Amino acid sequence: MTLFAHLAGRSPWLYRINAGSCNGCDVELATTACIPRYDVERLGCRYCGSPRHADIVLVTGPLTIRVKDKALHLWAEVPDPKVTVAVGVCPISGGVFRESYAIAGPLDRFIPVDVNVPGCPPRPQAIIEGIAKAIEIWAQRL
Amino acid sequence: MTEMPLPFAAVLFPGGVFALVLGLCLKGLDRRIAARLQRRVGPPLAQPFFDLIKLARKDSLVPKAAPRLLFLTLPLAGTSTAALAVALLPIGGVYAPPAALGDLLVLLYLLAVPAITLMLAGSASASPFGAIGFSREMAMVLAYEGPLLMVIAAVAVFVGRAEGQTVTFSLTEIVAWQQAHGPLIGEPALWPALLAYLAFYPANLGMVPFDIPEAEPEVLDGPLLEYSGPALGLFELMSATKAVVVLGLGIALFCPLAPADPATALVIHLLKYAVLTALGVSVVRTAMGRMRIDQAFRFFLKGPLWLALASLLLVLGRMG
Repeated sequence: MTLFAHLAGRSPWLYRINAGSCNGCDVELATTACIPRYDVERLGCRYCGSPRHADIVLVTGPLTIRVKDKALHLWAEVPDPKVTVAVGVCPISGGVFRESYAIAGPLDRFIPVDVNVPGCPPRPQAIIEGIAKAIEIWAQRL
Repeated sequence: MTEMPLPFAAVLFPGGVFALVLGLCLKGLDRRIAARLQRRVGPPLAQPFFDLIKLARKDSLVPKAAPRLLFLTLPLAGTSTAALAVALLPIGGVYAPPAALGDLLVLLYLLAVPAITLMLAGSASASPFGAIGFSREMAMVLAYEGPLLMVIAAVAVFVGRAEGQTVTFSLTEIVAWQQAHGPLIGEPALWPALLAYLAFYPANLGMVPFDIPEAEPEVLDGPLLEYSGPALGLFELMSATKAVVVLGLGIALFCPLAPADPATALVIHLLKYAVLTALGVSVVRTAMGRMRIDQAFRFFLKGPLWLALASLLLVLGRMG
């Protein structure tokens, strides 16, 4: 069983939720996958189109009031076991949008966040380190 | 060549388990080579196996509006059909399928089953993206089935007439004829058919540039959108095994030559698979973008259909 858990832990699939992000962090997320220098696929990762396929959820953006229900609904669609990563300073504290009337965040008011990757936007290396930490947490939950 | 008992051929080698493992290995190879072509490191070769083990341990969610039984049996039906279809393909010098399993025509039907399970999966998942995937998959099947039929007819008529009959649909005979008279890849009349085949198989495998039904950024994996856990794993297995069937059919039709020694013949056969995967799958999908569904449909009507027809007419005319 432990061997299988170990092997299963080498296949974390990623899913991106944009919770009202300015797109800066999303560009950096795409960078980690698309630019040869930062290849997350060597960790066994794969960006998937459907929340049903995902293991690790990457949330960007300050969770605006308009997008809150939809983002939480999407998060709930991801089958267990899953790990949540907050990418960028916005989901962690609100960032430059802090105390705005349009913001429902920070994210950990609504869902348990396992890893924080601060930055505006975070560098690809930081995102990959965050994903690596998330993989460790996720492998324990399997 | 040795005759193998039917259950053994269908369940262990070369169908069933062997086909599933070979499919996953080829998929790992493909992902690695594609990554290298993009100057990335890429995942380990065994990555598809890790993915499968992971998916087996995840929750399997079924949408409320979906028919549960159909939704969960579809991936099973698709995978087992693909694994069985491999048992119908002879391996030059190693394996000849038992006559009871059937010939090229049976294989044609079995080839259509995975596409149909994908379509049904799309419509059973009660998701608008699944419905779009369903209609796109249907359009692709309509587009590539015609050229495929004519490619197979051209080869069947060619070998049949060369043997003094009108036509032969036995793959074993086609392979045996090529062992004696040289591979059909060196036959100018069949070159257009070969080109049509090279256009057909990426479409059947749902690869770039024809991955339109499952296009991830457009329709979020289309038919597979609502699948999770073990059921999704079975669909991954199905697509991997389908590659073994389709590439294996190409090898059997055009270049099945192998030495008499079974061990060497098997190694050469596997090497052919690896080369076809590297050149025909990885390079193509790295070098091209995705077509739109109307472009792909028109492409098949304009190109492969006429090429395959030309080949069939050439074969009929030259020997008639």
